Amino acid sequence: MTTFAIEAHGLVKRYGDLTAVAGIDLAVPRGSIYAMLGPNGAGKTTTINMLTTLIVPTAGSASVAGHDVVRAANQVRTRIGVTFQDIVVDQDLTGREVLDIHGRLYRQPAAVRQRRISELVELVQLTDAIERRVRTYSGGMKRRLELARGLMTDPEILFLDEPTQGLDPQNRVGIWNYIRDLNQTRDLTLLLTTHYMDEAEALAARVGIVDKGRLVVEDAPATLVSNLGADVIRIRGHGERDQFVAHLNNIPFVLRVDLDTLGEFVLVYVDSGSRRLAEIVASAGANHFQIDDVTVARPSLGDVFLHHTGNALRD
Amino acid sequence: MYATYVIWNKHMVKFLRNREELLGLALQSVLWVVLFGVGMRGLISEIEGRDYMSYILPGILALSVLGGAVGGGMVMLDERLRGILKEYLAAPIPRLSILLGSATSTATKALFQAVLMLLVGILMGARLALNPAGWLVSLLLLGLFAVGFSGIALAVAAVSRSIAGYHGMIFLFNLPLLFASNALYPLAVLPGWMQAIVLLNPTTYLIDAIRTLAFGTTATLPLALSIAVVTLFAILGTWLALSMFQRTIRG
Repeated sequence: MTTFAIEAHGLVKRYGDLTAVAGIDLAVPRGSIYAMLGPNGAGKTTTINMLTTLIVPTAGSASVAGHDVVRAANQVRTRIGVTFQDIVVDQDLTGREVLDIHGRLYRQPAAVRQRRISELVELVQLTDAIERRVRTYSGGMKRRLELARGLMTDPEILFLDEPTQGLDPQNRVGIWNYIRDLNQTRDLTLLLTTHYMDEAEALAARVGIVDKGRLVVEDAPATLVSNLGADVIRIRGHGERDQFVAHLNNIPFVLRVDLDTLGEFVLVYVDSGSRRLAEIVASAGANHFQIDDVTVARPSLGDVFLHHTGNALRD
Repeated sequence: MYATYVIWNKHMVKFLRNREELLGLALQSVLWVVLFGVGMRGLISEIEGRDYMSYILPGILALSVLGGAVGGGMVMLDERLRGILKEYLAAPIPRLSILLGSATSTATKALFQAVLMLLVGILMGARLALNPAGWLVSLLLLGLFAVGFSGIALAVAAVSRSIAGYHGMIFLFNLPLLFASNALYPLAVLPGWMQAIVLLNPTTYLIDAIRTLAFGTTATLPLALSIAVVTLFAILGTWLALSMFQRTIRG
């Protein structure tokens, strides 16, 4: 048995001329939470679809729970749970029927199904609604039902494609709590995709930033952030910006300088924001760049994303 | 193929729960027999030695099979468009069982409607020939026809991008299959060019066989040929569905 729950080497998926995934390597340790962070269209869902055996990679290989996703697809399928990006649940069935049919597809005996359903319904707090048609559920309830369905067969690995997309803040935090809980109490490995920075930061031990079908950088969220520098000084202004940036790049304590996508902000990463602020502001004036607004902050995962992809992450 | 049974069972539960679909199918049957059959009966009292109701009932049965198949294809299309197909694809079940689950539920619905139509037809005065073996073979042929047309409906459902597109495509099949056949008028009264078209239509063979077997009309086409054509249609429909389905899930 390998120590990695998910391993991928050079995964590629092409559709004609379009390259959705351009070569992704992954190694997710057992019992950890891994988040793939990236904008829509970055290739996150395509990667998940390959790992969950829905589609066959054009090139590269991957093993999930120790089995090859192409050669031993059925072995993989019996060991994983999946929730999809869109809410995918039969409207005309009751919550209980959705879970029961799912268990039957995996050939769970009736007694096991019944026991699992009552456990999971309690976990995701759907006890009162479980006999009702899914049609009557709210978006958050459907998501929770899907989470229960993904857990129905007691998987080793759970794949969650944008688990909180379109949910209100209360439901989001609720789902986060379930995810953390499952990981801690059952040693479940989770791979989730998200385009929410806070979600990746709140949940994942490791974050991989995906852009244009590639894994740009991967590390613990705190490491990714601290690698950028201790603090970021965000400056909005007008005037000789290029001259100002060139000057900043020559200052020894400036670790790096980024521009946001719209060119509205200059982001200056420094060893200590409060200590260096006065000097930075002074050098702006000396280089004919008038400052309209300046803030000092700890870099966020958003800044990491911007730094590595050159794009601010938008929904 | 336990998964086929699970999917079939789920589709049946959804079908029986969907009162609109049930009522629509039942009413469709009644309307055809009552409005068309009874209306035309006033015009034509006898055709090829049979009353008109008995004459057109096999055609209406075939039509009802089409209706049922269209409804069944909708279920698969709906599951595909909603993404429920992905739940099946992620499960450790044979890919073929997904298609077979839809195909069997579709054929069941089609046969259900055909039987309903038959009962209404008999109530409205169609007279069956006293030939239980013939009834059985007729039912079997209807079943094969249902499999064939379900195949077409599922093939279209496997590639349609929208519900409207599906209905548009199906409509293209539906109307000619009924009117370019011997369902409503005997082959002999048609001009030569139309006869040629009608003879290309598998519905024609089904109807001729059922007329002969269950309603005691003299066959206008060799019975063995009719049975062969309907069987071939079932095989072709299944093959079409299978190849289209494989194309969609290959991703």
